[in-house]
Amino acid sequence: MGAVSPLGTDIESLAAGIEAGRNATHVMDEWTKCAGLLTHLAAPAELKNEKLIPRQNRRSMGRMSVFAVQAAEQALADAGIAVDSIPPERMGCVIGSTIGSMKSISDMFEKVLPGWDISGLTSMTFFQCISHTAAMNVAHHLKITGTVMAPAAACASGLQAVGTAYDLVRSGRQDMVLCGGAEELHPTVIASFDVLYATSAGYNNRPLETPRPFDRDRDGLVCGEGCGILLVEDYEHAKARNAPIYGEITGYWTCGSGMHVSQSDRQTMVRCMKNAMNEASVEPKDVDYLNAHATATRHGDAEEAAAIREIFGRGVPVSSMKGNLGHTLGAAGAIELILSLLMMKQGILFPTHNLKNIAPECEGLDHIMESREKQVDVLLKNSFAFGGINAAMVCKRA
Amino acid sequence: MTEEEIIAKTKEVFIETFELNAADLRPEKHLFVDLGLDSLDTVDLIVALQEKFDVKLRDDERVRAVRTLQDVYDYIMKVQKEMASGS
Repeated sequence: MGAVSPLGTDIESLAAGIEAGRNATHVMDEWTKCAGLLTHLAAPAELKNEKLIPRQNRRSMGRMSVFAVQAAEQALADAGIAVDSIPPERMGCVIGSTIGSMKSISDMFEKVLPGWDISGLTSMTFFQCISHTAAMNVAHHLKITGTVMAPAAACASGLQAVGTAYDLVRSGRQDMVLCGGAEELHPTVIASFDVLYATSAGYNNRPLETPRPFDRDRDGLVCGEGCGILLVEDYEHAKARNAPIYGEITGYWTCGSGMHVSQSDRQTMVRCMKNAMNEASVEPKDVDYLNAHATATRHGDAEEAAAIREIFGRGVPVSSMKGNLGHTLGAAGAIELILSLLMMKQGILFPTHNLKNIAPECEGLDHIMESREKQVDVLLKNSFAFGGINAAMVCKRA
Repeated sequence: MTEEEIIAKTKEVFIETFELNAADLRPEKHLFVDLGLDSLDTVDLIVALQEKFDVKLRDDERVRAVRTLQDVYDYIMKVQKEMASGS
């Protein structure tokens, strides 16, 4: 596994940040000039050492693709696979994001639109803007010649990518798949939530107190960025080469709500979680930890809490990582799945940061408000997205 | 603009855009063989030269004949002279 996140540029800093209860929210001073933007907050990741990637590979990469390459290299190293030993055609690369590099897209519009003149566009603009830019760049950089795909389902992209990798491996089409999600911050990304009043706008002068998933005083999400990458591998294949195994994916489901493009829907969330558990042949009582999507929007958290309550009641410990990381959008499902697997490995469940007073509409769950020791044999990870997209994954201890 | 100024500014393009070392930028160096550029880089070279010298080069067929760094210097000098003479 590998990650570049608002808490650091590797898995160790991510895990240490969560363990220490750090919050990555910052005031983005340069964005205050953006008229109409209600929130001035975001959770940026650090872009560093990008020049270690050769220029001819890096030239087609926007910020998110650099994060993706760095996380993918970490994941390969962690899995004990040298870049020059990647098997031809048998390793795939599935990395989702909400959209291509928004900085590159914005730069392109700024160059072209004022005079409707394309003569200032570089050859690489397109490759940074396309929706599969992270998957394409990682595959190109690592010379991966198996299946290359990029699920684009907004904030469910990362978990859908891992689910797609799971499908590719269990169908026998691939032995291994590097998979996950990537995202980069840009004022236009924030704006997509801000215009809907979904961002946290009441904490601009006290950023460390937001976002507040499931909390009475939550007022919206804080956008983050980064990338999480996992190597999903055929179990026997992994055992045969003595690979480190963090968990086994045993169930996955994704579905549409058919209800509303932005409003979450508890009934289809319930259906999604139940279908993932059915596929994994586990009952609600078997699930030891649930990592919630919970972004700290008023409606989304209430719907997810209701869905969890309907299935589990207080029967499963629940936490959201977004109080630490912000909402890393297309990367969230992958980064948070990585954290969930680390919790399973360590036997420690980390709390929902900034959850101080449980909102009445989010009550009736076993909210994790302080770290607790617990053996986790089965975990459930949720991701939900604009467009009425639901995704849920079940992993068990390997 | 003097020849020296054109050479200096062209070198800046290669250093800034293609991250090359100044010491490697000798006039006889072939863009592809010696400096490691490829066909996509030549598109970006044109864009960068346009910005650096405030000229329009994209539709100029002569740019396709450029092979070495000296060719680039010569080409930009020709373009500058043509602009100065109004042709």
